[in-house]
Order: sequence, then C-alpha cells, then structure tokens
Amino acid sequence: MFAKLAFRNVKRQLGNYLIYFITVSLTIALMFAFNSVIFEKELLARADVLENMRTVLIMITVAISLIVAFVLGYATSFMLKLRKREFGTYLTLGMTRGNMALVFLVESVLLCVVSLATGVLLGLGLYQGLMAIIVNIIDINFSFASYSLNGLLLTVGLVLGVFALSFAVSAIYLSRVSIYNLLNGAKKTEKAVRYPIMWCVIAVAALVGIIVSIIVFAKTAVALVAGSNSIKLPALIVAMLAVFAVCVVVLHVGLSRGVIGLLMRTQKFKSRGANIFTLRQLSGKLSASSVLIGMLAFLLTLAVIGTNVSFTMQIQTNAILDTNYPFDVQASIRRSLPIETEQDSITFDQAEKIVQKYSPIKKRVDFTVYTTNRHDVVDFANAHGAGYWADKDMYIEESAFNGIYGEIGYKPVKLGDGFMIVSYERGEKVDFSAAGLTLGGKRLDYKGFRKCSLPVHGVSDFLVVVPDGATDGMKEYSDGTVFSLKNKRYDAIALHEELMVSHETSGAGDSIIYYTTTDYGLREYARLTMNMDNAVWIVTALYVAVVFMFLAMAMLALKTLSGVSDDKQRYITLSRIGASRRDMSRTLFMQIFTFFALPFAFPFILGLPMGIVCSSLTSAAGLSMAATQTAVAAGIIAVVMLAVYALYFTATYLVSKRAVVPVN
Amino acid sequence: MEKILEVKNVTKYYGGGQAITKALDGISLDVEKGEFVAIMGASGSGKSTLLNVIATIDKVSSGDIILDGQNVCNCKDAALAKFRRDKLGFIFQDYNLLDTLTIEENIVLPLNLARVPKAESDKLLNDIATKLGVVEKLKQFPYELSGGQRQRAACARALITSPALVLADEPTGALDSKNSKLLMDAFTMINAELGATILMVTHDSVVGSYASRVLFLKDGKIWSELVRGNKSRQDMYSEILAVTSALGGDGDVR
Repeated sequence: MFAKLAFRNVKRQLGNYLIYFITVSLTIALMFAFNSVIFEKELLARADVLENMRTVLIMITVAISLIVAFVLGYATSFMLKLRKREFGTYLTLGMTRGNMALVFLVESVLLCVVSLATGVLLGLGLYQGLMAIIVNIIDINFSFASYSLNGLLLTVGLVLGVFALSFAVSAIYLSRVSIYNLLNGAKKTEKAVRYPIMWCVIAVAALVGIIVSIIVFAKTAVALVAGSNSIKLPALIVAMLAVFAVCVVVLHVGLSRGVIGLLMRTQKFKSRGANIFTLRQLSGKLSASSVLIGMLAFLLTLAVIGTNVSFTMQIQTNAILDTNYPFDVQASIRRSLPIETEQDSITFDQAEKIVQKYSPIKKRVDFTVYTTNRHDVVDFANAHGAGYWADKDMYIEESAFNGIYGEIGYKPVKLGDGFMIVSYERGEKVDFSAAGLTLGGKRLDYKGFRKCSLPVHGVSDFLVVVPDGATDGMKEYSDGTVFSLKNKRYDAIALHEELMVSHETSGAGDSIIYYTTTDYGLREYARLTMNMDNAVWIVTALYVAVVFMFLAMAMLALKTLSGVSDDKQRYITLSRIGASRRDMSRTLFMQIFTFFALPFAFPFILGLPMGIVCSSLTSAAGLSMAATQTAVAAGIIAVVMLAVYALYFTATYLVSKRAVVPVN
Repeated sequence: MEKILEVKNVTKYYGGGQAITKALDGISLDVEKGEFVAIMGASGSGKSTLLNVIATIDKVSSGDIILDGQNVCNCKDAALAKFRRDKLGFIFQDYNLLDTLTIEENIVLPLNLARVPKAESDKLLNDIATKLGVVEKLKQFPYELSGGQRQRAACARALITSPALVLADEPTGALDSKNSKLLMDAFTMINAELGATILMVTHDSVVGSYASRVLFLKDGKIWSELVRGNKSRQDMYSEILAVTSALGGDGDVR
C-alpha cells in the first residue's frame, strides 16, 4: 500500500520534481562521465601522469559527491516543504512517522533508480563528449572511448551514498517536525531587515577586500612567475585566497541583507507601482537565504576561477612548447661528463637511426656550444636586472646559429664584427653595448637582442652569438644536434623510451640506485605529456564548474518554486486590488530575476578581472600571443555560464508565472 | 437615484460535459448609488459566484454587468485591472492583507498601482486610517494585529481609492461577535458618512440586518428581497430570520 502511495506521489508530483530530477540526472551523467575518464584504459596506457593522478581525481569526485549530497539534501527539504500538508494529513489520519518515512524512502529509491538510469544513459554519451575534448586537447588519434565497469561502480556507489545522505536528512526532519507545523507551515514572520546601512557598509568593505586581494594576488603571482624567490610570496598568495573566499561570502550576505532594506527607505522608489510588494517579497527571502546565497556565489566563483585557470594552463602549454621545444628533436651532450653517464650516452648517429624508425628525418644540423669558462656577460646582464641563470658565458658561432634557426623559419643574423644575445626570456631591455665583449683580442660591438628559444637545456638561460672563428681558443662545452622530422605526429612515447639510457650508481651502504636519463628532447613527447596533464585538469575543472553551476541554479530554482504556493495567494490579492497581469508578470520577473542574479552576478562579472589576471600572468610568463587567447577563453566561459543561467531562470520564471499569475 | 450597478440576465455555468453546474440562472438586479445591499442564501446558492462575476474575478457565461456605466463583460485584462483598481474595493473574509507588507503599505498599495503622488496618497492614508481607527497600527505587520484590526485595515485599503462599489465577501466570517459588530458599525459609517456603495455577501442574519436591502438567492436565482426602509435593525433582523428559515425549509412559504 505504501509503495502504491509513494509511486502515485512521485507521478503526481512529477511537475514539481522535474527541475530536481533533471538536475540530479545531469549531475549523475557528469559524475559517470568523469569517473569513466578516470578509468579509461587506452588513456591510462598513454599517460603515466593519469595513473599518478587517479587518486587525486577519485578524491575530487568524492569531494564533489559530498557537495552534491549536501545540496541535494537541501533541495529535498524544499521538496518536503512543498508537500508539508500532505504529510501532515497522513499523520492526522493515523499514519505513524515510521510509515511516513517508509513512503518517503520508497519515493527516494524510485527517484534514485530512475535518475541513476537516466543519468548513466546520458553519461554514456557525455563521456564520449568529454573524451572528445581530451583527445582534442592532446591531439591524438582516438576512435572510441571504452567503458569500464570500475567507472560505473564508482558512480553507482557515490550516487547511492548521496541519496542515502539526503534521505537521512529528510528522515530526521520528518521524525521531528510537529503535525501543526506540517499542516499550517511554521508561521513565518516577515521582519524588516535590521541595520540595512550597516549591512551595506559590510558589503562595500567586502568588495574592497575582494579588489585588494585580487590586486595583491595578481602582483604576487606575477612576481613569482617572473622569478622572484621571496619566501613570503607563496604565504601571501594563500592569505589573499583566504581573504578573497571570506569576502565573497560576506559580500553576498551583506548585499542580501542590506540593499533591499536600503531601497525600502527610499520613499519615492518604494511607493511606485508594485515596487513595495516586490521589495517585501525579496526582503524576507533574501535575508533568510543570505548565507546560502553567499555559499552559492562562492561555489560559482570557484567554478569560474577553475575553468579560467585550466584553460590558461592549456593556452600557456602551447606557447611554452614553442619556447622550450622549437625543434622536433633536440639534444646536447656535454663534452666532459661524469664517467658512468658518458659511457651510456646515445650518440647523435645512433639516435638518428632510432628516430628514423618513427619518422623520416628531413634535416639534421649539428652544432657546438663553446665557453670561455668566465662569467663576464652573465654578470653584466644580471647587474642590469636580466636575472639569468648561468654559471658561465656560453657562445655559439653565427653559421651554426643560422643553420639551426633557419630550420624553424628565423631570419639569418648578420653579425659582421659584432655579437648578439639570444634568450627565450628577459634581457630585452638590457643594453649589452656597454658589456665590452673582447674575444681573441678583438672587441665586438653589440648588435642586439633576439628573443628566441635555445637548442640547449639545463646549461644557460642565454647564448652569445659570435662571428665564425671568434670561438678559437674557447673550450668546447657541449655538442648539440637538432632534427627536423617529416612526420609531426608519431609514437613519441615509444621513441622517448628508446632514447632513454639507464644508469646505476651506488647509494648508501651497498645499495645500488638505478635511474634513467635522456639527452634527447622530443617536442611531440613534451606536447603529449603536458597536454595530458592539462586535459585532465581542464576536464576536472569543467566537471566541477558545470556541476556547481547546475546545483546552484537548481537550488535557486527549487527555493523559488517551493515558495510559489505562498506567493499564489499574494498575487491573487494583488490582482484583486487592481494589478494587471502585466504588473504582476513584471513584479514576478523582478522578484525571481533578483533572487537568481544575486549569487550569479559576481562570479559572472569576475570573468573580466579573471581574464585580465590570467592574461597578465600569461604575459609575465613571456607568452604575449597566448594572453589574447586566455581573454577569449574567459569570454567563452562567461557565455556558457550565461546560457545555463538563462535556461534555469527561464524555466523557473515560466513555471512560477503559470502558477501565480491568474489567467482571466 | 443613480444606478451604480446593473446585472442583466446573468448566467454562469461551471464544469463541462456531464458534470455541468448552473451557478447563476438568469439573475438581474440593480444597485443604486449610496446603497448598502446584502446578498444572503444557503451555501451553493450562487452568492459568492455573483460577487465574483461582479468583481470581474470570474467571467459570466451570458448576460451583462454594467458598473458605473461600463459593461465589464466586454473588457480586456488590462482594462479590467484598471477597472478593479479605480472602481472597486474588496473586503474578504480572510482579510486578504499581504502578509509581507506593513498595514500602511497594504493600504496605499492600490494608490501606488494607480501612480498617485506620494503627498496625495499620504493624505488619503491619514484620512482613512483615522476614520477606521488603524492609525496606531500603520507600521505593524498584519500578523501583529487582531482579526478585527486586520479587517478594518482591509476596509481602509478597499476605501482609499474612493471606489464606486465596495464588494465584501463574508467580511465577518472570521470574526467573533464583538469584532463583527465593530466592523458592521464601520460599514454603516462608511456607507452613511463617506457615501460608499456596498454590496456584501453574508450568511449571518445579524450582519445582514445592517444593510438597507437584502437579496436572498436560491439555486442561482433571486428568491426574495427585503428593504429596510424605516424599520429598526431589530425588525429587519426578525424579517431576515423569517425569510431564512423559509429559505432553509421547502421554500414554499409565500
């Protein structure tokens, strides 16, 4: 009998449950898709990084599930509120609280099973979409993502946990609430918000706090990216993030309590049309939900920051790739290496044969880097603020430089009797003409700075390009080579493995430590590994962002709809005293719009400073091209947020309008 | 006398198909300016339906309702809203005060909707609140007031726009006898001193006896009519009781 009652209830309440059901199903779909990504076999085979990250990702998905559980528990309590009278009637008819909890349990199970089934079905498709994003970011050939039982089991486990938690919250409520409250509703008294001016001042103070924390954060982060080593900076960043988080919540609490109260003090505004009605409707709702609004705003803000940062990472990666790996294959081997490593090094000729198994080689250019074993230039540069890391000056001959860089489209340099500084960062503003470089008794003039990547790594931040022959008498520091390949996409992971050499060294006592190294930098390998990292983070950030956005909007929608029955009587009265349908529609629109906009506006507007901060961080990292792309990504995120907002707002407005605005 | 309200051959059906109910059956009546008319009848007799169609809250199936010279049956929604705002005042059993608004905000809301300037609405508020004895309660919320005070506040809201017709639906339904008497005294005062025309639905014979004319409804038709004329309220009450008992019996007492 109870099962029948529960089934009929769900069927009858389907309209009310629709927003709840859609949100739960979409969240489960996202959860399932994300969990499936964690266990994707082919992806795992390609990326060691994913294996390492799996624990972190599982922790993230569990943490998200906890938030989902909390929010769903909250949402369920709204649904209960809608049905208070019904439960009250059950109790007056002699049903026990245990019976009532059973009815509710059966309903929850029904809802759980149906939304789990719908969610998993949707998730099957969504997962392919997520994988498409990942594959697109990594840029690999990938036909169809396989489904794993583990992903499904994790999802089912989490969803059951979420429902059990949310049921427990409701069951506790049902076991304690009085019949009177169920039948009559707890008599709410709409009190005017006290001290609206104080709350406004608090809101303004919080806004100032937010602005200051963003500015200090941006400056600190830029200083860190630009290479400052101060120990205080990371602590400052954490402190600013904490200040930011607190201020976001406080700003919304202040706004929710202050602004309406302040507007109610403006007699002219208040007495225009149905304004006072709208203000009073909002006043009670906003002040009662001020902390919730603050929390939702914070979640949405996290979503905006997460997605912006992850996209910035991806954009920066591509720029970093051009900077750090301009060549398909590049290597440098030092002339004087510790004996055990020297023995095991793969020579350039051996490497050429190995590489050819993966792709035909278009061109190979060998070069030598020389050193004077002095550090005149680096000292001069650092004295003028370049901040180079190098223990000695490194030189390369003009013809070798042109040979290497001609391959990647650089104009050849013409030095004459001069020298040039090349570096991938900093130093543009240093005037090296006063450096007074004299080689072999011949003074060389400074011919300028060129910002470009270097074919040697871990040696120096910069190279001095000198005319051929100017290196006579210098020590040969390292040999280098760059290969230009015909195929840009090949199995770089396998090639990387082949170009590794293993070493062993004696550790403490009699132990032997084994390790592997490689002298060869592969652009494609770097791209794959970096993009794999990014793809995982982007997908995580998108997942978190979308789940937060859905949940926040669903909570606002449910909270609005749960108050509709109270609103209905008020709108009928409004109609009787002469408000037209247009007046009432406008009033309802303003009421719902403000309620939805309050937690949404800040994160949405935050997209702008976020875009600027991410752009300036990208610029600070020396990637000015990528800065524009970062701003574009911030814009896209804002547009997507707006679309989800519009969807939920419109649905809520139309459902409420149908319920409260009388049709003549 | 000037006719404020003319109800001409109004019929109202509810439902459809097999389950059709005829709530009003070709009813016709007039109300003149300054009259205080009560409509009485058993439940289901159609008195609330009659009030609702006059109030433009519900639509007639056929017939015409002419209020202050305007046929409300042919009006569009926006015109009806304006009409309700300017020509009608409502007083309901459950007060219909907005619980979220203070008494002052409740009373001036119709003026706000009509875009009446603040200075003028303040003056009107002060006048009406003084007459109905709610001046002290203006800053309070409805839940802070007694039933009688709430109903007087609802009267103030109904009267502040000086409507052509005040419609009252069981105004004493939720009040005890003392507060009912106070409210009816207020009705008599607004009728006599402010010249308000009142059309009130009630099932309470005592309340009905305050009216200058009582119409009795049965099965959607006007069954009988009593005019007070120079009779005392007590006599009127006795007559109402007589008609009511006849109405409650087999209805064949004439």
